[in-house]
Amino acid sequence: MTMKKTLKLNLGPQHPSTHGVLRLILELDGEKIVSCEPDVGYLHRGMEKMAENMTYIQYLPTADRIDYLAGCFYSELLCRTVEKAKGVELSQRVKTIRVILLELNRIASHLLWIGAFLMDLGAVSPFFYAMREREMILRYFEKLTGQRMMYNYFVFGGVRKDIDYIEDIENIIKILPEKIKDYEKIITDNPIFLKRTKGKGILEQDVAFNYAVTGVNLRASGIEYDIRTTDYLYEGFKFKPVVLEGKDSWARYKARILELKESIKIIEQGLNILTYGEKLEQNLINPINLKLPEGEYYNEIEAPRGLASVYIKSTGDDKPYRLKWRTGSYYSVNLLRKLLVGEYLNDAIAISGSLDIILPEVDK
Amino acid sequence: MKALADGLFTVFKHLFMKPVTLEYPEKKRELSDAFRGKMVADTNTGEHCCIGCGVCKKVCPSGAISYEKNEEGKVVSYSFDLKKCIFCGNCMYYCPRGAINMTKEYELGCESKENLILTYKKEGEDD
Repeated sequence: MTMKKTLKLNLGPQHPSTHGVLRLILELDGEKIVSCEPDVGYLHRGMEKMAENMTYIQYLPTADRIDYLAGCFYSELLCRTVEKAKGVELSQRVKTIRVILLELNRIASHLLWIGAFLMDLGAVSPFFYAMREREMILRYFEKLTGQRMMYNYFVFGGVRKDIDYIEDIENIIKILPEKIKDYEKIITDNPIFLKRTKGKGILEQDVAFNYAVTGVNLRASGIEYDIRTTDYLYEGFKFKPVVLEGKDSWARYKARILELKESIKIIEQGLNILTYGEKLEQNLINPINLKLPEGEYYNEIEAPRGLASVYIKSTGDDKPYRLKWRTGSYYSVNLLRKLLVGEYLNDAIAISGSLDIILPEVDK
Repeated sequence: MKALADGLFTVFKHLFMKPVTLEYPEKKRELSDAFRGKMVADTNTGEHCCIGCGVCKKVCPSGAISYEKNEEGKVVSYSFDLKKCIFCGNCMYYCPRGAINMTKEYELGCESKENLILTYKKEGEDD
């Protein structure tokens, strides 16, 4: 009788093709993966514990750094929590400005994903093209907020200053659709791309439920779940959540491409509101000595990598007693346990790439 | 095959486009006015307008700002520690007198750590 021998392989944490510092402990039988154990925590910065020693305004700029590709979403969450706790209403113009910036941020994040994913599969050109378009958005953010990724633009009760350089946004949403067409020409029907993604990393609906996966990954498995449809910021905006039935890596790619188009539509509607809108009216909350009333607060938003939420427990002090973030990527990393089993080693990076994992968001 | 040809054609089109990158350090791109780089004490008026209210210290997330007071409680000198600063701009946004400005300077590499601690004295003499 022969013993079946398996090989243990560490993929990462410093492997050049993994996304950040993710360590996958793979058990291989020949080229096939028998089991996968994701090991996270190499980028842990103690974001949640840090909050307990900081006042709300001190913590606001650090919230941008939870997910460096989509910082707006996390500062929006923190602002929203404080606003709701204090009972402050936002004016329509502030809401619209926030929606526009959130969607621009989503586009930038998805664009980087397209580039990085294709890079994982061995295609180099799309990475440069995606970065080029993302650069337009980042430059706009720099003009408006002062920095490219760590914006610190949303404040409690409003925004730092009125939106400006609207012609830049108009330019971006004019150019982007053509560029997305270009990506689709290069990528979508490419036979090599199809072979590496079609039918690979199939995410069944019950698995998705059990692993609490949200965001594009869930919607590409045929489940319509988009928090934006019930979000109070997005009231009055018309858009359709992208739902695809494919369940595989290719469907997740296609869903992100379609989501780019939806985001462009939302921005267009936002610009229409801004053009005929009134002056900026803000109900700013004085951040010095800001104290949240005693209680527990929970808020959620649809971030590019799934449902993001924040839970704050306050004892009436100027610092939170406990703060907890829910980030979409954390659940996607866990999913690798299930998705990689039975696949070839060559596909491991392709499948993990398709889930859009950002390690700073996972480790917090 | 048609898809491959389409893709190749799209990639080749890019050969005839202008480059979008810059050869940094030789060439540098223009930064926006809002850019948050190295911070300086505003000396536009000829003297520092800091009143020592301490708001900047309260809103700073990383504890990069410190100041000294004399016996009368007036601010004598204050300093920014650029090693700790995360360039969030909170101090600039919340200063009631506009005493702090952020410049477009972003290349902060230097040979000694002390050079990264900027101290401003109230009497008008800068370090």
